[in-house]
Amino acid sequence: MKRRTMITGAAGLAATSFAGLPAWADDTFGSKELIDAAEKEGGLTYYTANFAETEQEVIKAFNKRFPKIKVAMVRAPGGQLITRIKTEAAAGKLAADVINHSDRGLMLELADLFQDYTPPNAADYRPDALVSPKLWPGVTLGWAIAYNTQLVKTAPKTWMDLLKPEYKDKQIGQVVGPSGGTTWTRIMFERQVLGEDYWKKQAALGIALYPSGAPTSDALVRGEVSIAPLLYNIIYTKIVEGAPAETVFAPEGVPIIPYADGIPKTSKSPNAAKLFMNWRLSREGQTFQIEKLGNITSMKEPPAFPKGWDPKTVKVWVPKFDEFEKLRAAWLEDWNKTYGYRQ
Amino acid sequence: MTATNAAALPATGSLERPTRRLAAPLWVGALLIVLTFLVIYPLAMLVFGALSDSNPVVDGFGAFHPSIARFLEVLGNENVHLAFFNALVACGGGTALAVLIGLFFSWIVVRTDTPGRRFIAGASMVPLFVPPLVAGVAWSILGSPKTGLLNIVLKWIGVDFRFDFYSMSGLILVFGIYYAPYVYMFTSSALRNMDPSLEEASEVAGASAFTTLFTVTFPLIAPAILAGTLLSFVVMLGIYGVPAALGAPANINVLTTYIFKLTAWSPPLYNTAAAVAILLMVVTAIMVWAQQKVLSGKSFATVAGKAFRPRSLGLGPWRWFTFGLALVYLFVVVVLPTIALVIAAFRKFLFFKNFDALFDAKAYSLAHFNAVFDNPLTMLSIWNTLKVGVITALVGGALAFAIGYTVNRTHVPGRKLIDLLATVPVAIPGLVVGVAYLWAWIGLPGGLYGTIWILALAFVARFMPDTVKALSTSFLQIHKELEEAAWICGRGLLGTIGTIVLPLARPGVVASMTLLFVLAIRELGSSLFLYTSDTTVMAVLLLDYYEGGNTGKTAAFSLVQTVILAVLLGLTNWLSRGSAQGSARVG
Repeated sequence: MKRRTMITGAAGLAATSFAGLPAWADDTFGSKELIDAAEKEGGLTYYTANFAETEQEVIKAFNKRFPKIKVAMVRAPGGQLITRIKTEAAAGKLAADVINHSDRGLMLELADLFQDYTPPNAADYRPDALVSPKLWPGVTLGWAIAYNTQLVKTAPKTWMDLLKPEYKDKQIGQVVGPSGGTTWTRIMFERQVLGEDYWKKQAALGIALYPSGAPTSDALVRGEVSIAPLLYNIIYTKIVEGAPAETVFAPEGVPIIPYADGIPKTSKSPNAAKLFMNWRLSREGQTFQIEKLGNITSMKEPPAFPKGWDPKTVKVWVPKFDEFEKLRAAWLEDWNKTYGYRQ
Repeated sequence: MTATNAAALPATGSLERPTRRLAAPLWVGALLIVLTFLVIYPLAMLVFGALSDSNPVVDGFGAFHPSIARFLEVLGNENVHLAFFNALVACGGGTALAVLIGLFFSWIVVRTDTPGRRFIAGASMVPLFVPPLVAGVAWSILGSPKTGLLNIVLKWIGVDFRFDFYSMSGLILVFGIYYAPYVYMFTSSALRNMDPSLEEASEVAGASAFTTLFTVTFPLIAPAILAGTLLSFVVMLGIYGVPAALGAPANINVLTTYIFKLTAWSPPLYNTAAAVAILLMVVTAIMVWAQQKVLSGKSFATVAGKAFRPRSLGLGPWRWFTFGLALVYLFVVVVLPTIALVIAAFRKFLFFKNFDALFDAKAYSLAHFNAVFDNPLTMLSIWNTLKVGVITALVGGALAFAIGYTVNRTHVPGRKLIDLLATVPVAIPGLVVGVAYLWAWIGLPGGLYGTIWILALAFVARFMPDTVKALSTSFLQIHKELEEAAWICGRGLLGTIGTIVLPLARPGVVASMTLLFVLAIRELGSSLFLYTSDTTVMAVLLLDYYEGGNTGKTAAFSLVQTVILAVLLGLTNWLSRGSAQGSARVG
């Protein structure tokens, strides 16, 4: 199935055709002057640590609304993207007009590189998802429990279910703790919310460890493991395409990762950059990302919910930013020891 | 460059003009300047990084507080010890297997009457076109202990044995079969260029064919065997894709996967990665030194002025046995992984409940190919990759010829330093090379950063050892007497190179440029830091698919890449054969 077909045909999702649906007036995205200036600039360069394919869809959706603005993308894994940004900036050659990154801590260190920016709907965002007035959560991801429907007889429903002896002997696959900010958020949630001994009990079952989310989701679909905590967007598109997998959002909480996106001071297309940021942070942009890409949102009142998300029972969990930074090194060391991972 | 080359090279004889006396140091100086730019300067950045905890571009040299502590920390880390040990075992075992397979094949193809030799020769090079990541993915699809296709077949036919490629033996096997072409390339051209009269003499003296093989043939092509062994070992040391796909599930770390981890963590630990990379370079330097020690003072000239016909050994009925062995190898190394990739590329998902599920037509579609070509980056990356490949092959080939000639055919002072500098990059893993080039070249005036050229130059530097070594084997085999004959006939240096050296080394030159082209197209690590939105290349897009957990799209895109490579290589081969015939006719 073509990706285009998949996107438009996703079952159970509200069909949202931007071209024909003036659900949100254009001034939601910015003044007429801003739009004119952005269209005059004609394009922007977008640096992202997210998956390239996912962000291509975001660009396509943006271009349905603003076809005159061409978006060129540079994608690299998180740590490598930060190195590139720092080095380019120091050499005076930072080409990015918008930067999208999952690690708020690393982006905060670079806050001086970014210009002041506030989206028109700034008040709609949760304060605990923001680390700097210059950086905004254009993307928010959340953790779900995924399982292979062909292999699991009784599906897990809660995080605590992942301690059951029936799932022992490498039936559960996991991304290793030190792989990045997203996983660190999840294991911090496990220890703070599910209990100090959660890791120990789970490690005792025998867990298959993977370096990042993508190979974990692949292993789940192939049947190498039967159950895996996964970022919902990694498994969501596969489920839509027909993969033998399902997910649950556990009632104990959904750890979310608000990204930190900003516009560098050196942007050569600042108006196009602002418009792109405004659109991604708008209700329309967030709705698109939730419904079509499997993202979550950092908006106080979510404009949409992922499939299977009951707002009455499921609550998001946002890590306290100071603890996120402070606890990281020591807790990751504990995690490595508990799970027998050699860092 | 060629003109300088010609004017500058060896000053022999007593009637030298002063300009010629100056030419040699000028030539060596020019080469050293080029190597300084391509190797020493980025390497200095790497050492800078390894000895400090700062980024030289961001923090400036003022923040450089050198300390040996990081080195000691790396040396004392038990995870590094384990990764180092694993790397030695995996690459050592892989190299032994690669030498066995590579030598056997070159002997079959060049020296026996085994049927279908041309086909075998062509097909056995296929693994070289396959990016390591794709090879790793293909073998994980085939050999995963739980879901591998081989095990599904074994279960279906009722055999209890199960393959487990997520293991050290799996790593060794995949390394061995995929890097055998390196050994083959070196040894087959050496065998082809070898005067058979020495072997005939051995047989006249009563030695059996087997004894001759081990006492005359193989010792005579020792430089090629050693070069192939060394190169395949150090190339394996630098490979990330295979151990990432096969080692990671079994928690087997090698140095490259450890370095990748260091660069992928948040925040990334490039300085520690640089320190580990320096450790790798020391190992390689020791190996290069050992190779030179073994080869020094021995002559391996087997191409002389006399005409000879390549000698072919009649194997009788045994030729069908060698043919069968060749087919088994080709089946394992080409057919099986291709089947795995084709299944992965056309199948929506790689979940097989049982053997029959393999033949469920509904599970197959063109979805992954549609998705790949629906992506606007696909065509851009293909076009960019071809441009980078051609530039790298031409610039790298010319530079390697200049270096190879200077090192092997002249006695100019400084040539050993040139050899050493041209060998160093082989030991630096691509990711670390990438960041070293980024640090080194981003600040240079002239706008190199952000162009195709920065990628091409990084590849030229990164693969210089491969190309120079491949060419050196050709140079080592051309007897000095041929050049001397040309000089006696009054040819200048340029004339001698043009009429004697280049035509004789031509197969080596074409082979090394082709190798460079292939390596440039596959190269991932150093691309990651140097590409921009306009200069994205196929390897980067392939990693995007892999990192996105899209085995299907990864397989589909790697099939596209393989087909493009095969078409281009076929075209190159056809063109070079056509021009060879043309020049033969003219001559």
